[in-house]
Amino acid sequence: MQKKLLSLIVLSMLSGHAMATSIEDKIDMLQDEIDQLKAKAAYAEKNEGGMKGFANNTTVGGYGELHYNNFKGDVPAGEKRAKDEIDFHRFVLFFGHRFNDWISFKSELELEHSNTENGGAVELEQAYLDFNFSEKLNAKAGIFLMPLGFINETHEPPTFYGVERNFVETRIIPSTWWEAGASLYGEVAPGWKYQAGVTSSLAAEHFEKFSTKGVREARRNVSEAPAEDFGVHGRLDYSGLPGLTVGASVFTGNTGQDNPALNGADARLTLWDVHARYQADKFDLRALYAQGHLSDAAKINDAFGHEAANRFYGWYMEAAYHVWKNGEQDFAPFVRYEKWDTQADIPNNIARNDASENDVWTIGANYWPHPQVVLKADYQKFDKPDGDKGDKRFNLGLGYMF
Amino acid sequence: MNKNMIAAACALLLLVMAGSAQAIQQYLTSEQFLTEAFGNEVSKPQALWLNKETAKQVEKILGHAPHQTRQRYWRTGNSSAWILEEIGKEEPITAGFVVTDGRIAQARILTYRESRGWEVRYPAFLKQFQGAQLQVDDHLNQPVDGISGATLSVNAMVRMARLALYFDRLSRAE
Repeated sequence: MQKKLLSLIVLSMLSGHAMATSIEDKIDMLQDEIDQLKAKAAYAEKNEGGMKGFANNTTVGGYGELHYNNFKGDVPAGEKRAKDEIDFHRFVLFFGHRFNDWISFKSELELEHSNTENGGAVELEQAYLDFNFSEKLNAKAGIFLMPLGFINETHEPPTFYGVERNFVETRIIPSTWWEAGASLYGEVAPGWKYQAGVTSSLAAEHFEKFSTKGVREARRNVSEAPAEDFGVHGRLDYSGLPGLTVGASVFTGNTGQDNPALNGADARLTLWDVHARYQADKFDLRALYAQGHLSDAAKINDAFGHEAANRFYGWYMEAAYHVWKNGEQDFAPFVRYEKWDTQADIPNNIARNDASENDVWTIGANYWPHPQVVLKADYQKFDKPDGDKGDKRFNLGLGYMF
Repeated sequence: MNKNMIAAACALLLLVMAGSAQAIQQYLTSEQFLTEAFGNEVSKPQALWLNKETAKQVEKILGHAPHQTRQRYWRTGNSSAWILEEIGKEEPITAGFVVTDGRIAQARILTYRESRGWEVRYPAFLKQFQGAQLQVDDHLNQPVDGISGATLSVNAMVRMARLALYFDRLSRAE
């Protein structure tokens, strides 16, 4: 009996021990499996699905804007007011590629006005190689946007107020303006950024519609463009305090391009601007003054029948207030006053075009349902008719960037 | 403009390019950031795992699905440190956040790869995040003044700050 009892106790102890060992084994096995899964997940995230994997090579981005313009008010005597217009003004795709940790490629391909049949165009606005050496010194070479003013380089619809880009940065600074060349850029000191370089230039032969459009038409867009004359550019900005940017930029270059009709005249164009922006709390204030000087304007006018001026200028002030913010949504009314004169100083072989000088008040609002999506509405009142588009305008816009 | 001058400028450019190129601007290594945050008492990294529900919330904060389901972090006492990456315009920005008692105690840029918008690394800009908490809607409770021409980099920094605060809350609930 005692022997039987002893064997039972030993057996039960043994089986109990065996059971305990089996559970511990199972826990160990499960732990091993969990560790292996975690290791696999960590490996996958590092090598495939992770940020480093997809960001190291090619990136795609873009922006676009749809505009509706309702033209109202007076038009110059004898002219009929233009019809209202709806236009998918810009559809843009960015493509970028990083070759290694210091060389990358950036590009911007744009389709203007939805197709190429009704005055639209497919344009390569940027295509350059970017060489990052250090924060003090970087270089870009290829086709890039000229670093003048605000809008020329930063013009994604959610980044500016109003449906259409402001007039000063389209008629005095001819945004969007790109040239081919090379430029150095970086930080000279904390908060101080510079850019300086050499690029292709405009062509005096094409200073058409100067009295209303300034130098716009003379941009050659690096499309089999003349390369007898080149220009230099420079920009310096201070943005060391949050919300503040103050700066100046300049371009100077001959535009004669050895055209025989000019008999060797340089036709030097110098275009400069000073600009400031202050974004603090709910306020967003912006101001810019731009001026251009053109030598040999009289010779240009004689040679090509243009209305080029010796001097032209424009300035604007803009104030916006973010009255309502809720999560990602944002609503900001704004007001802008602009004044420009594309014939501020003219040679005596042309008569002044009354339409060259104008000013405009724009009042409206931007609503961002998401920081990268914007709905816009504004009303514009010109001092005098802006050609056949009248002296009053109501605009609606839709824009995005990604 | 004189063509000789252009040739000289190009030669200068080539000279510069031929010089030793530095890598993408790395301002702080992870180790330096952690030492700055915790001194010499940097704890072992821990891992925060996202589940279906929390991944959905992260997607709401970032505006895109999270790139990983596991996030490494470091915790000492009431403070946690997070190293995150988000794309500004084209390139990822690597930023570090220290969260103490549910508030941002420190924000730093570790690596910046974009060719514009470097201002986000300035102490004056980053100081704006200090003290920020998450509101009920998972947005920051204080405004961050933007930088002209660097809107997307600023937005990316705000998203990462929100994510660090959200992750800190999750890690404390674990």
